[in-house]
Formats: sequence, C-alpha cells, structure tokens
Amino acid sequence: MAPPPTRRNSAAPTRAALPTEPISLCINTQTPLLQFLMPPQKRELMPPMEGNTDLVGLVEGVDYRYSPGGVTRMVFPLVRRLLESGVLGETDWISLNPTAPPMVRFHGVTLHSMALEPSRMANYARVKESIWGAVHGLDSEDPDEAMFWSPDFSDYGYYNRITAERMRQLDAQHDFDLFYIHDFQQLPVGEMLDTLKPKLFRWHIPFDEGQIPRPWKEQLSRYLNSYDVVVVSTSGYLKELQAFGHTGEARRIYPYVDPSDFSRPSPEAAEAICRRHGLSAEQPFVLVVGRMDPMKGQDRAIRAFASVAGDYPELQLVLVGNGSFSSAGKGLGLSKSSQWRAELEAQVRLLGLESRVLFTGHVGQSDLDGLYERCEMTLLPSVREGFGLVVVEGWLHHKPVLVTRRAGVAELIKDGRNGMVFDPEQPDGLATKMRKLLESASLRRRLGTAGATTARQCSIEAAALAEARLFAEVLES
Amino acid sequence: MTLLELLLPVLYFALIIAITALSARLASIAVGRLMSRSAPQVAAGARRFAAILVALVGSVLAIQELGINSAILLLVVAFFGVAVLIALREQLENFGAKYFTDIYSPYKVGDSIRIREHSGKVIEINATSTVLITPDDQLVSIPNSVFMREVVVNTSPQAWQELTIPLSIGSGVDLPTFESDLMRSLGKLRLRLDRRYPPVLTIKSRTVLSTELTLTIMLRRPEEREPLATEVAKRVSEAIQRAQGPRPRTPTPKPSPAAAEAGSAPSKAPH
Repeated sequence: MAPPPTRRNSAAPTRAALPTEPISLCINTQTPLLQFLMPPQKRELMPPMEGNTDLVGLVEGVDYRYSPGGVTRMVFPLVRRLLESGVLGETDWISLNPTAPPMVRFHGVTLHSMALEPSRMANYARVKESIWGAVHGLDSEDPDEAMFWSPDFSDYGYYNRITAERMRQLDAQHDFDLFYIHDFQQLPVGEMLDTLKPKLFRWHIPFDEGQIPRPWKEQLSRYLNSYDVVVVSTSGYLKELQAFGHTGEARRIYPYVDPSDFSRPSPEAAEAICRRHGLSAEQPFVLVVGRMDPMKGQDRAIRAFASVAGDYPELQLVLVGNGSFSSAGKGLGLSKSSQWRAELEAQVRLLGLESRVLFTGHVGQSDLDGLYERCEMTLLPSVREGFGLVVVEGWLHHKPVLVTRRAGVAELIKDGRNGMVFDPEQPDGLATKMRKLLESASLRRRLGTAGATTARQCSIEAAALAEARLFAEVLES
Repeated sequence: MTLLELLLPVLYFALIIAITALSARLASIAVGRLMSRSAPQVAAGARRFAAILVALVGSVLAIQELGINSAILLLVVAFFGVAVLIALREQLENFGAKYFTDIYSPYKVGDSIRIREHSGKVIEINATSTVLITPDDQLVSIPNSVFMREVVVNTSPQAWQELTIPLSIGSGVDLPTFESDLMRSLGKLRLRLDRRYPPVLTIKSRTVLSTELTLTIMLRRPEEREPLATEVAKRVSEAIQRAQGPRPRTPTPKPSPAAAEAGSAPSKAPH
C-alpha cells in the first residue's frame, strides 16, 4: 500500500523539475491589466477583438494605460517571462473591467473583461473594502458575521460566480492545465469553479492570523481550502496561515520586480527630472512612493518629517502616487485617494510645511527612476503592507530604506545592515531613524549597497523559477 | 372511400397528439404548483410523472383513431413492464433507494458514517451503491437499498447542523443571478441559521439541459430542521421561478420548491 502523501508547506521554493511542455493557464485577477481611455464610441469601432487580434493601432497613454499596482508590476511581467521561456502556452486572463472590450489580445495573452452592473459594483466594492480593512487592521470594531448575510455579500458572490462561470466556459474551449487566482477579492472563485484541475491562489495582502475577524474564520478557511496550493508573500505569512488552521498546501514566493524595468539615470538626467517636479539641484529629499491611501501611512511620514525638518532646512519630503484601480474614481467608483490626499494636504498646511512637502501624483517609470536616484532614502511608512515592493525598487537604486515593521518586506531587513526598520507603534521611532540616516552619508551608502544584494531575492528571475517549479509540482503531484 | 375519409383519422390523430402535448405541459405545471413545498427533486419527479402519464393516455387515444387495437398495445407494454421489473428487481431497488437517499439522506460524500458493522468516510454515492473508505483504507460498497432499511449514523462533526437540499435548474436559468437572488432571500432566515456559515450552492453536475446543484445551510437549532427545510424549499422555488421569468424557455425538469425533510425517515440519523 502506498504511503499517504505528505503535506509540505515550504518557505523555500521547491526543487521540482521545470514543466516539460507549455502549460495552458487561466489567470484571474480583480484588477485588470489595462484600463481603456478612449470614449465608448471608439471602443465600439475597434477591430474585432476575437481571435488573435492584438491591440494594434492603439496608443498607450491615449487609448489605454496600464493599471497601477501589482498586476502591472508583478503579474504581467511574470506571465510574459513564463511565456517567453516556454513554460506557458495558451494564457487567458480574466479581470473586472466594465469599460473594456470583452476580449483583447495583448502581448500573447488573451485578456477577458468582466462587467458588473453599477448597483452590484457598489455592493461588491463595499464587501471587498470591508475585507481589506479588517485584514489590514483598519477597522476600529471587530467585524461580525453580518457581512456574509448582507445583500452586498450576495453581489460579491455574484461577481465571483460570473468569473468562475467565465473561467469554466473558457476551459471548455481551451482545456487549461491549471487556474491561478490572484487577489483576496476573488477568493470564492476556487470553491465556485467546478473543475478537477489544479487551482492555485495567490494571497497578496498581509496574512495575520490574529487580524482575521474570528467570526469570519470558518468561511475564509473553507475558501482557502478549496485551492490546491495557496501562495503567500513572506515566510511570516506562511506561519500565520498554518496557525490559522489552513490544512492545505501552501508556499511562500516573494513578490518581485523586473530589474530590467529600472534604469539608473545619469546625475544630469536625474537632476533634470527633479527640476521638472519642482526640486532644485542638490536639494536633498526623502522619497515615499505609494498610492494615496490611509493604509500607506503618508501621514506618519509627514509627522516624522516635521520633527526633523527644522534641523535640515534644505530637506524635502516627496510623496509620489495616486489612487489605485480600486480606490481612484475611474476604477470602482470610490474616491478614497482624493479624500486622503486632501487630508494630507491639510496636515501639511497645519504643520506649516507647504514649501517642504511635494505631492507629485502619479509619475512615469523614467521619472520615478530619477527620483529614486536622487533621494537620500526611501521610506515605507505603511500602517500595514502585504510586502512593499517600493523597498526593492529603492534597493535597485542602491538607496537606504527605512521600513515599517508592519510590512512583509521587513522580514528581509536586518536592521542597520541592509536597511532600517521602525516600530510604527513608537511615535518617535521613525523620526529617530530618519535622523540617524540623514546624519551619516557612509551609513546610507552601506545600507544601499547591501540592500542591492538583498533585492536579488525579489527578482523576477527568482520568482519565475519558483512559480514554474510550483506549476510543475502541482501538475505532477 | 373518399380522400376526406382517409385523412380524417390522421387529422384526429394529429389533433389529439397536439392536445395531449398541451395537456401534459399543463399537468406538469399544475403538479409543480401543488407540490411547491416538497423537496425540489421530488417535485421535479412528480411533474415528469404527470406529464408522462398524460402523454401515454393521450397517445393511446390517438392511436385508436388510426384504427389500431390499443388493448393489444397496452397488453404488450404491460407485459414488457412486468418483465423489466422482474429481471431488474434488485437494480431497480437500488436505483429507487438512490433517488430517495439523494433527497432525504442524512449523509453526503465526504461525511463519516456508520451503518451495520461498517464505518468510514463516504467517497462515492452511485446509482446502485454507496462506497465507504474505512479507517484502515479498505473500500466497502454498500447497496443503496440497505440505506433504506438500516440505521445510518452520521458521525461527522456538526452533521446535525447541516441541511443539504439537492435542486436542479434548467439551462434557461442564469446561475449567478439565481444564486445571488437566493442568497438574498435566505439572508432573511439568518436568525434561524448558524451565522458563521452562509449558505453554499455547490454544482454537482451539468448537462445541456440542466445543472444539478446542492444547497447547504447550517442550522442553529436541530428542532427547527423541518420548518426550515420547508421554508428554504419555498424560497428556492420562488428564486427559480424569478430566474426563469414569466415563461420558462425550455420544458426542463423544473425544480420546484421544497426541502430535504431529513429525519422524516425514522430509521435515519438527523442529517
């Protein structure tokens, strides 16, 4: 009699062989890769998007743009990398994108857009915001089970069901090898998708067992156990998942960036970029990159900056970022980002720092490279952060990073060796560490150089290998 | 013999067949309404039975119009039926048991049960038998008919809480809309249900004509099992009717209401 299979929840990527044949994959993310900017009339006049029609003739920035956030910076580069290396074959990607054409071929991937009626969309958005808030510890009161019984939750279920049904229809056409569902918003899809094929789930946000509302545990546990493997972003989250009582397989794969997407501009080019954003030559600044969201903790950065600003009269604080697909008005219809920015601007006025704090809004990659290159340090002040890829981006520019302990990436930081970690619960902690970094150029250089080495653990090469091995393992096991 | 005399029986035949088809449909709808508080699968079966009965009677009457002796025809059919019943007695017993255990059974695939001297986890319920895997990894196949006669104990945790209701929706019903509507409706019963476990709709199988589903709800109090089963069945039926709109698109087996009145079979453990 064969021994029962053993469960392996490994922090390290497995050493399974790579897939021998291209895998046919169906991906699901709530956030779409592309947002279409052209008016609906033009969308209707677009050439047929069925089949293999690429987005020929459409202009990025005019007709469409990439969604900000992890889908563009992580999922899509990974898919492209796996397509190029032959690990992936037919790849279909389903997202919520009510204003997009139903189907578009883009860089070898077929993008399918799901639509949701405005009334359902608002209800769906409320549920996902509740889950987001609870998991990030933003709710002042412990949520109860009421959410599961609300009309909003039935619309949350509706969206996930139509997604699962679409995936099933596509499976009937393409006979996928496996399904890869990303984003906590789509968690119920695993249970709803009636297939015997492998289903993977990537949990991108923090997983803290103590933070999951007790009344939700049974339901979330059932959803998570409907997947063959759950992938989380840090070893810490993996332990929390086990403590939560997850009985299925789980893996840790660090989030990642593609280093080739980042260039290090010359000092002159970086100066020009900074001037364009209102920063004069040689003016030192602390850089915070993140969407406008209370969870990102820009208010903490402003408070800490205020306490060091008097000692460094030239120093500026630069806040880069806009709303995400979910929080900006053009996405799911919420205006959280603009509200938060207004609150931050009021805080800046109250502290009399109008001339010292700069809000750039969204900036393109080349400008971001210039800002990274010229900053004194990269600061991640989030209240809670699933990982914190901006830290890796700072490292790629050999910059010291100052990171909240509540970010997933903090598990990669050895305080004082490749970065600095601060305790967000200690009000002066951030300012103290900021001051320490500002005082020593050699310390900044040392941390930046060491950080560049650490960043290799979060490269797309490492992640693509880990994901390919995971696919092979799931398909072979 | 004139052409009219030749054609008249054929016309009567066609007319009776048309009336029969209409009557069968009306009978099906009427039975469905009458049984709107029964288990969805039972109601669907009753509707099919009513429709087939009307169709058979109508067909015999129509055939008579063509001058064929229907008495001989009925005799042949009856003998054939008796032969089938005798030849397949055991299999039919198991099929029948499967039908009823599907609806009223106090266990499902994945549950741990005990019956006679056997205990284990249910891994399959097929047309003729239920397959258990025992703690020492042995497979035990038990004819479904045994489950109609013997005491079954479901030893799964929270088994008493779980109420599973098999139902079927026609291809004309949009599953996401139906599910969303049903969940809203069941939300009104939340005070009677374990609030940690919202209802779950699971797809069991799909065909071109219909989708077989299982609705699982978790009770708060075991003594409310029967009234809740009836109420949930009614809400399922209403949700299906709303999803189908004023006129059903296809005459697929239309799950009407109802619920699994587990415990109604006295020999069975609560579901």
